[in-house]
Parts: sequence; C-alpha cells; structure tokens
Amino acid sequence: MITLTHYLIVSAGLFCIGLYVILAKQNAVQILIGIELMLNAAILNLVAFSKFDKLNNSGQTFALFTIVLAAASTAVALAIVLNVYRRYRTIDPGKVNQLKD
Amino acid sequence: MHTPLPNTDLQTTYYALAAVVLPFVAFLINFMVSSKSSKMSGWISTGAVLMSAVLAAMVFARIWNMQQIHGQQLWFSIGETPVYAGVWLNNLSVLMLLLVTVVAVPVHIYSTAYIKTHENNRYFTYLSLFCFSMLALVVVDSMVLLYAFWELVGFSSYLLIGFWFTRDSAVQANKKAFIMNRIGDIGLLTAIIILFAQYHTFDLVQLFGEKGLLYTSTIKDGLWLPSSSIVPPHNGWVIYGSEGISSVWQYVAFTGIVLAVAAKSAQFPLHTWLPDAMEGPTSVSALIHAATMVAAGVFLLGRVYPMFNTTELDILAVIGCFTAFMAATIALTQNDLKRILAYSTISQLGYMIMAMGINAYSSSLFHLATHAFFKCLLFLCAGVIIHEMQHIKEENELDIDPQNILYMGGLRKKLPVTFVACVVGCLALVGFPLTSGYLSKDGILIQSFEWADGRSAMFRLVPYGIMLTSCLTAFYVARLIFKVFFGEFRLKEILPNVHLHVSDGGWQYTLPLLFLSLCSLFPLFSINPVAYEHAWLYQGFAPSNYLARESAYHMLVPIGINIASVFVAYWAYAVYIQERKLVFPQTSFWFRLSYHQWYIDIFYRNVIANAVVQLGKALFWVDRSVVDGLIELLTKITEMLAALSAWTDRYIVDGTLHLIAATTSAIGNFFRGFQSGKIQYYLFSMLAVILAVFIIKLLI
Amino acid sequence: MNILTLLIFTPALFGLIILALPSSFRASFKYITLLATLLQVGMSAFMYLNFKTGAAFGGINQESQYQFVHKLPWISLNLGTVGKMQIDYFVGADGMSIMLLVMSAIVMVIATLASWEIKSNLKGYFVLFLLLDMAVMGVFSALDFFLFYLFYELMLLPLYFLIGMWGGVRREYAAIKFFLYTLFGSVFMLLVMVGLYLSVTDPATGNHTFNIVQMMNPANFQKYSVFGLAVPQTIFGISARVVGFVVLFVAFAIKVPVVPLHTWLPDAHVEAPTPVSIILAGVLLKIGGYGIIRICMGIFPEVAASCAFWLGLLGVVSILYGALNALAQRDLKRLIAYSSVSHMGFVLLGVASQTAEGVSGAMMQMISHGFLSSMLFFLVGVIYNRVHDRDIYNFRGLATLMPEYATYVMIAFFASLGLPGFSAFVAEAFSLAGAFKSTLIPHWMAVCGSVGILLSAAYFLWTLQRMFFGKELLKGGEIWRTALTKLDVREKAALLPLALLALILGIMPSLALDKINDSVLAFVQFLQHK
Repeated sequence: MITLTHYLIVSAGLFCIGLYVILAKQNAVQILIGIELMLNAAILNLVAFSKFDKLNNSGQTFALFTIVLAAASTAVALAIVLNVYRRYRTIDPGKVNQLKD
Repeated sequence: MHTPLPNTDLQTTYYALAAVVLPFVAFLINFMVSSKSSKMSGWISTGAVLMSAVLAAMVFARIWNMQQIHGQQLWFSIGETPVYAGVWLNNLSVLMLLLVTVVAVPVHIYSTAYIKTHENNRYFTYLSLFCFSMLALVVVDSMVLLYAFWELVGFSSYLLIGFWFTRDSAVQANKKAFIMNRIGDIGLLTAIIILFAQYHTFDLVQLFGEKGLLYTSTIKDGLWLPSSSIVPPHNGWVIYGSEGISSVWQYVAFTGIVLAVAAKSAQFPLHTWLPDAMEGPTSVSALIHAATMVAAGVFLLGRVYPMFNTTELDILAVIGCFTAFMAATIALTQNDLKRILAYSTISQLGYMIMAMGINAYSSSLFHLATHAFFKCLLFLCAGVIIHEMQHIKEENELDIDPQNILYMGGLRKKLPVTFVACVVGCLALVGFPLTSGYLSKDGILIQSFEWADGRSAMFRLVPYGIMLTSCLTAFYVARLIFKVFFGEFRLKEILPNVHLHVSDGGWQYTLPLLFLSLCSLFPLFSINPVAYEHAWLYQGFAPSNYLARESAYHMLVPIGINIASVFVAYWAYAVYIQERKLVFPQTSFWFRLSYHQWYIDIFYRNVIANAVVQLGKALFWVDRSVVDGLIELLTKITEMLAALSAWTDRYIVDGTLHLIAATTSAIGNFFRGFQSGKIQYYLFSMLAVILAVFIIKLLI
Repeated sequence: MNILTLLIFTPALFGLIILALPSSFRASFKYITLLATLLQVGMSAFMYLNFKTGAAFGGINQESQYQFVHKLPWISLNLGTVGKMQIDYFVGADGMSIMLLVMSAIVMVIATLASWEIKSNLKGYFVLFLLLDMAVMGVFSALDFFLFYLFYELMLLPLYFLIGMWGGVRREYAAIKFFLYTLFGSVFMLLVMVGLYLSVTDPATGNHTFNIVQMMNPANFQKYSVFGLAVPQTIFGISARVVGFVVLFVAFAIKVPVVPLHTWLPDAHVEAPTPVSIILAGVLLKIGGYGIIRICMGIFPEVAASCAFWLGLLGVVSILYGALNALAQRDLKRLIAYSSVSHMGFVLLGVASQTAEGVSGAMMQMISHGFLSSMLFFLVGVIYNRVHDRDIYNFRGLATLMPEYATYVMIAFFASLGLPGFSAFVAEAFSLAGAFKSTLIPHWMAVCGSVGILLSAAYFLWTLQRMFFGKELLKGGEIWRTALTKLDVREKAALLPLALLALILGIMPSLALDKINDSVLAFVQFLQHK
C-alpha cells in the first residue's frame, strides 16, 4: 500500500537531489535542472496532499500552475544563462562573482 | 651743626680749599681743552701746584700750633642722617697739605722734562688729578669724603702706574695695585660703616677731635658702648644699637683700618703691589709711591688714632716692625734699582706704622715728613740714572734692562750732581747725623726701647728687630751706592765699544734734586742736629712732657746704631768694591728667600688669586649646571609630563574611540566576507541559516 | 590732562602713528620714536622739577600725599549679593617712583638711540618698543593693583617679540625662557592679587578694592578674609600672609633677579639686541626692586620684618655669587649681565635692612644702575655692531685703536665698580651702612656685601686689562682694524649724558636723594609701625 508518507519521502529525496545539484554543480544549466527537480518535488507534494481536498482538486490545479510557471522561469533563466555566457564566456556561477565588493 | 666761622678762619678755609682745588682746575683744563702735543699741560699743572704750595704755606702759617678750623656745609641728607662736606684743618692736615704740595712742586718740574712731549698731556692730567685727590684727602672732615678721596687717590695711582698702557707688565701692575688697594678700601668702608652705626655720624671732628665721641665710648662686658652723650634722633623712633654692640665689632673696625693702612702704605700682608707699581714713570713713583700716597695710611692712622686700644696698638707695632724687617731683607738682593727703593719705602713705612703702634705718634709723623723728602729725592735720582741708561740702551741698540744695577757702576763721574744728591738721600735714609733721617728715625728707635721697657720679653723683639732693620738698611743702601756709582761701568766691561753720552740733564732735573737734597738735611727741621725733641715738627704733635730725656737710650741708641751702620757700610764696601766673599752665597736658602721676596707674591698669585678665579669658574659651572640645570630639569619634567599626557591622550582617550571604530569595522569586515559574489554560496548560507534556525528551534 | 597719564600714554600715541604710517616711511620711524621718548624726558623733567618735597608729601600709605594723581573709575560691575566690583584707573607718584620714572624716561632715549642698529621690520620693532615704553611707565605709576598687573603683564608681550625676533642666534630659546620665567612669577601674583582684593574693602564705599594704598592699611582688611590680620588664616599650614608675601616676592625676585631665580638674565641679555638689553637692565630689573618695596613690603610689612634675614641673605648671596660668576665669563655681555645680578643684590640688601640709609641706598642703586648698566650695554653694542664679536679674549689693546671708546669704557667700568664721585659709590656705601645699622639682619651681611665691591673691581679691571690695554691684537686682524671705527655722533650723544648723569649723581646725590628722602622716611616709619 502506497501511503502519503511514501510520496513525501520520494518528494524529499527529489528535493534533496535538486538542492544538491544547485549547490554543488558548476554549470548554470545543471543548476537550472536542479531547480526543476526541486520544483517537481514541490509539485509531487502538492499532488500528494490533494487527497485531503478531493472536491476541488486544488492540489492538481496548483501543480499545473507551477509547471507552467517553472517552464516560463526556466525559459527566462536560460536566456540569462545565454547572456552570461556571451559576456563571460562561462556559465560557471562561481566565476561570475562581480557582485562581491 | 653748621656754625658760621669767623672771617679770618673763613679766609684760611678758602685758602686751603683753593690749594686743594687748583690742581683739579689744572686737571679739568688738561682734560678738556689742552692740546695733545705740547708741553703746555705740564706748565699748567706745575703752575697750579706751585700756587697750591704757596697757599698751603699760608694756611700752614696760620694754623700750625695755633688753632684748628672746622668748617662744613650740608652735602646731602640720607634718611635722618645729614652728611656734611667740609674741611678740618689742624696740625696734622696742614702739615700734610704743605708736605704734599712742597714735594709735588719739584716732581712736577722734573716731570716736564722727564715725560715725552706726546705723552705730556695725559701724564699731567693724571698727575693733577692725583694731587687734587691727595690734597683733598688730607683736609676733609667727613669719613665719607675721606673714603671717597682715599679711593680716588688709589684710582689716580692706577692710572699713573698703567701710564704706559701698552706694556703688559704695567697694566698687570696697575690692576694688582688697584685690587690690593680695594681690599684696603673695603676695610676702610667697613670701619666707617661700623663707626657710623655706632655713633650716627660721619664727622671726623665729632668722632676723633678733642673730646670726640671715641674718647667717651667704652668696652664693657663684651659690649661696645657708644658715649652716653649721644642724643637719639629727634623724633625718637629710630634708636638702633644704642645699647651697644658686641665688642667684636670694635676689633673688626680696627681690622678694617689696618687693612686700609696696610693696602695704602704697603704693609704686610698687602705690600706686594708697591714693588710692581714701579712700572709707572719714575717721577710718579717719586711723588706717589714714595712720598705722598703711601703716606696716606700713616695719615689715616693719625686721624683715627683715638679709636685704638692698647692691644690694637701692639698689633700695629708688630705689623710695622715685621714689615720693616721683611722689606729690608728683600731689598738686600734685588737688582732692579727702583725695586730696591720700593722695598726700602715699604721698610720705612713700616717704621712709621710701628711708631704709631708704640705711641710715638709725633715721631711717626716726623718720619713721614722727612722720609717724603729723601725718598722722593732718591727716586728722582733713580729717574735720572734710568733715563741715562735708557739713553745708552737706545743709542747703542742694546737689549738690556735700564733699571738693572748690575749693568751700572762708576757713574759718579758722569753724573756728579745726581751722585751727590743720591748720597745725601741715602745718608738720610740710613739715618746719619746731620741729616733729617737721623732726627726722625732715631726718635722712633729710642722710643721703641722705652716702650718695650717693662713689658714681656716678646715685646723686646720689636726694638731689636727694628735695630737690625736699621743695619740692613745701611747694607742695602751701601750696596746700591757702590754698585751704581763706584767701580767701573760694567756695561763697558761686557761691551767695550759702547758709546757713553750721559749727563745730569737740564735744570728741570738738577734743580729739584738740589732742592730736595737741602730738604733732606737737618736745618729744615731742627736747629739742633742731634736731638729729635727739638725739631719743630716733632713738637707740633708731641705731648707736653716731650723734653724728658730720662732714659739712657737717648745716648746709647744713636751712637750704637751709627757705629753699626758705618761698620755695615764698610762691609758692603768690602763685598762689592773689594769683591771679598763675605755674604751668603747666591744659592743659599736665605738668598733665594730674599731674592724671591719671601715668595709672598708667588703665593698670592698661585694660591689666592687662583683660588678666587677657580671659585668663579666653579660657581659658573654651578650656575650653568645646577641652578640653570634645575630649571632645565624642571623643563624636562614638564616636557615629560606633557609627553605623558600626549601619550594618554593619544592611546587612552583617543584609543577608546579608535577601539569602538575598529570593532565596528571588524564586524563589518566579517560580514563583508560573506559577500563573495557566488550565488551558490549565498544559497548555501541561506540554507545554513535556515538549518541553524531549525536546529535552535528544536533545541529550545 | 594729567601729566602722569600723558607720560604713560604718549608712547602709545606715537606707536599708533607709526602703525598708521605706510612702510615707505620706515626711515622716519626711529625719529618718531626718538621724539616720543624725548617728549617723555621733557615731561618727566617737568614732573621732577614740580615734585614737592617735605613730610607732607611722603606718599607710601597716605593716598592724599601722592602727587600728579589721576583717578578715574574704570570697571565698575554690580555683582548683586557679592557686592560691587571696583577697579580704578589710579596713577600717582611719590618719592619712590618719581626718580625711577625720570630714570626710565632717560634710559628709553638711550635705548632709542641704540635702536639705530635695528635693520629689519622697523614698523613692528618700534611699535613694540613704544608699547613696552608705555607699560614700563604704567608699572611705575600704577597705584591700583589691577592696573599694575595689567601693565606688568603688558611688558612681557613686546619683550618676548623684541628678543625673539630681533635677537641673536639662540633668541627663541632666550625669549621663551624669559617669558616663562616671568610668567611663572606673575600667575601666582594674580592669585595673591585676587586674594587681596577679596580681603580688602574700601572704607569709603564698602566695596572690595584693588587700591594698593588701601591695601597698606591693616584696618581695611576684613576680619575673616584670607589675608586679614585680625584672625590669621593659613594655607597648607603656613600663615596666609607669609604665603602671600613669599609669592609676591618670588614674582618680583625673578625680575630683580635674585640668585636662584636669575638664570634667564644672562641668556636674555646675550641674545637680546642692544636696545632691548638696555631696557632690560636699565628699567626692567628696577621693576623688581620697586615691586618689592611698594607691594611686597608695603602690603605685608610685618612679614617683611620677620623675613628680613632671608631677604638680606639672598641679597648677599646675589652680590657675591653674581660677582664670582662675572669673574668666570669671557663673553663681555654675559659678564655685564652677571655684574647686574651682583649690583642688584645691593638693592635687596638695602631694602632688607629697613633702615632709612639702606632703603635710600637701594633706591639710589636702582637709579645709578639704570644709567650705568645702560651705558655698559650700549658700549658692548658699539663693539658688537662693528665686528659682531664680543669675546673678551679676541680683543687686546683697544685703547690704542679707539681711545675715546676706551675712555667711556673706563668711566663706565670705574663708575660701576663704585669709584667715589660716581653714583654707584653713594648707593653701595649707604646700602651697606643701612645693612650694618639694621637690627633686623646680622652685621656680618654688610661685611660680606662689601666683599662684592672688591670682586667687582677684580672682574672689571681684568676686562680692562685684557681687552683695552697691552699691545694691539685683534682676532679678526686687519678687517677688524678697519671695522673698529671711532665713535660717531649718535653714540657719543648717548654715552655722554649717561656718563655725566652718573658723575653728577655721585657728586651731588642730593639731586636724587632730596626727592626720595621723604618717602623713604615715611616708608621706614610705616614699617616700624607695621
């Protein structure tokens, strides 16, 4: 029997993988992937928790919104990455550190 | 206080004042207007002093043994004390007045020829100043004026000793003379101040005149009491020391007087300036350092005689006797003609001081008068001799000391007048019968024996010492005569082809010599050539019982001393003319002691003068290092305090502020470190914070 | 217009004129100053001639007996409960000050004549000079302590700049030393002045007052005041009046200068230009003596009597110490500076005796030393201006080269060493006579003081012998020979009057003593009554 707990464990695992990718990878695209992973973990949770709202399916609705938003933000982020690459000839976020004083 | 004088007295006073002031007028004329390069100044001064002499003679005729005049005028008042200026003419002052002017006249005449033309003006300016001060010294009636002229006399002597001021020895000598005299001056000043504090007056007549204050004061129980007749100042609030002061101060006053006398009259221990003073022109030595100024000490003793008690008189006698003896021994070996005469002067002055000490007041003054003439004569003779030796020296371009008697000899044929005059002077100095010296000196000798009678054996040393001195005098005088006038001219023996063009010189030389020679013989002073008591000068000062000739000394002493003198003179003849070796060898201790003037001068220079100079230097060091050093230290301490407070300000007060700023900045820096610019790092930080928050939440 | 006020402020007026003139007139500044000082001499001579003598004009502690008095209310503040603050412009002269005023006026002329040597920044120099002149006159005539203090401090400022700007090589050191020394004394004087102010009330108005004459009257002191006589107060366990006396004495002793406090003097003299040396020695030192007489002893007579021994001792020490130090000098100016220390010692000794003779002698010594030290410093200036050297060892036989100069030097030296016929003799003899006569100080002090006369002969004669007599020998050789020219008219015009004054005062001391005498007697009587 697959319970809510199993969903949550999978989701947490996904989230952690995403987090790890964001923190550890030196490639902006990979980081974007990591972000997607974390978003998916959140979506999974939304879907899983929607069992407490069977009438409105609000979980599923939010998941759909989130997917759309994620796609949009990824598009924007990829555009930034592309621009960063043009400017710095790298997409390693560690090397793009001009914000520091 | 100021009483109008009767008319005749007033006239006499004016004569005396004129006699005093005339040389001063000459001084002013010479100083202000006279041309620098003529003999004019000489004749102005001579004329002035000649007129002074005439006036002095007139004053003398009116005063001597007849009366005394005391006239005074208010000079200034200081506080409650009026200070008067005036004249006191009595036997003593008119005698000195006459003596000084009469001796000064021949010296002035002599000087007109002796001093070179271009130095004439300066010389006579100084000489007139001297005559003025000396004449004023003898007539003034106030101790303040006495001191003033006492010192002015020393000052003019300073000028004249250093007359040739380009000579180092001359300026050394005049400095020494002035400083030595200054020692005496402060003695006199101290004495005057003590007497003033005690009696509240500077008036010599009130103090030392007949029934003067000094006669009424007593020393009782260690207290010196002024006379009871002193009226306290009129408004009665200033009464100082009327109960008397410690008797020590009487002796201090005496010591002051003794110092003054010793300095001016060249007595031990302040005699060393006189031989050095011979650096001045010889005519100056004749007037100042033989006849007049050096006699001022004796004169002072005569003026203040009433203040001495028996002990003090004994001290005077001993000082005089010792000086006479010491100076005579030194004169035995000196080679400088003027130095011999200088020591002989010191010796003769010793006689006078001793005579004062043994109560032979009148003999002392008598000897002063006779000595003035014959010693002046001797110096003028020496002047002629030195002048001629200088002449030889310049003519032959020799390098000799013209005053050294070792180069002389046989001059009696070249300088006959000088020879005769010199012999007369020397005989008077030795005290041969028929000379004035016999009269005055034998009086002193006889009275010294009478004085020593009935005293302890120690006091007997004085008459015997003075007898011995007389014999020594005969020896050195004979040595002088034989070396200078007898034998062969020694320079000729050394340099056979030396030119000799010497003579007695013109009338300006011979006339003074003849005049003074006559004055050195007995008739001027006494009709009876052998009894000093008959001399008018002696009688002028003697007590009324002067005719008593009770003791045998009156017979024995003159005979004894004359026989001894003749014998000694013959001995000298044997030594110096026949060249027998009868004296101490020149290497013996006694010879060296005498030749080096008992090492007194060397002692003064090396020990005392040096000590004072070193003390000055040491004190200057103290001033620089200690006194100023303390100030420097204070500065240093202040500076250190300032540095300390600056440090505090910088590191403590300001430091706190800096610490706060630094802390803030450190914290800022710490957080700035997080701004690495790496996005992942920010994320990581964020995560860490969130985790930390959770952990804290869990823990709490 | 009051003559004394005119005398004080004439220099200030002329100073303003100089200040207003453009610098292109700089050649005329010295003549303007000379005119000012000559006017002062004229005024002081007028005062001297019109000065009334007699027991009714003693001055000292009788306000009505002062002459040429000018009294104006100056600062008058109502302080509510504390009372009214009353400061007057109050000047006047008595026997103690009249001769010092005359002497200062004459010395100022001499100093002006010596100022011909000043070549740089003439405007500043002469303005400061005249300011100093004003302050000096003010000090001698002020009878209000506040006014006195004001003038007293006002002297320091110009002197500091005169030494510090126109002086020799180490001028800044000397100027600062002088300034700090004097300031040290006067700040404490300020405290005592305030204390006195709070203690004394004017009997007429009941206000506190700075009037010096009122301060002399013991009845004017309030009962429980600091310096009151009725109920003795103490400061640090010492009687307050003794403290007050000592503080004032130290302030003036620095000026005199008295021995342990004298070291500013040689430095200041050596570095100061000739005219400033002349003013320093001729006038400033007398302010010390004058202050001791008028203020220290006038206000604290009973302390003066009990401290007489120490005053006398300091006097004797100054005499001997100064003389011995002079003996060790080779800088002519330093030698004269130390001789000043020695000669001013007689002033202290005479004053300490508190006898009429002693105080008169001290006054006479101040006047005489005013003229003689001016002459001596002027003479040093003559030679220093010619060759810029004054080391005694570098000269010899100057009498052959400059006979006239040597004559003046001899006159100055012999007058200074107390040759009778010159003023110093009368002064020194009577200071010593007073000291011996006094019952307050032991007799030996007078005897020791007289040794100073001997030592002064030693150092002056040594200098004469070393520098002026003997064969001519100069360190600078031919260059110096040509530089050492004869005295010019200006120099003679300065030296001759000084020599004559010293001579005239020596022969006729009554010229000065007559004016002084009544005040001295009043002063001695005042001290006796306490």
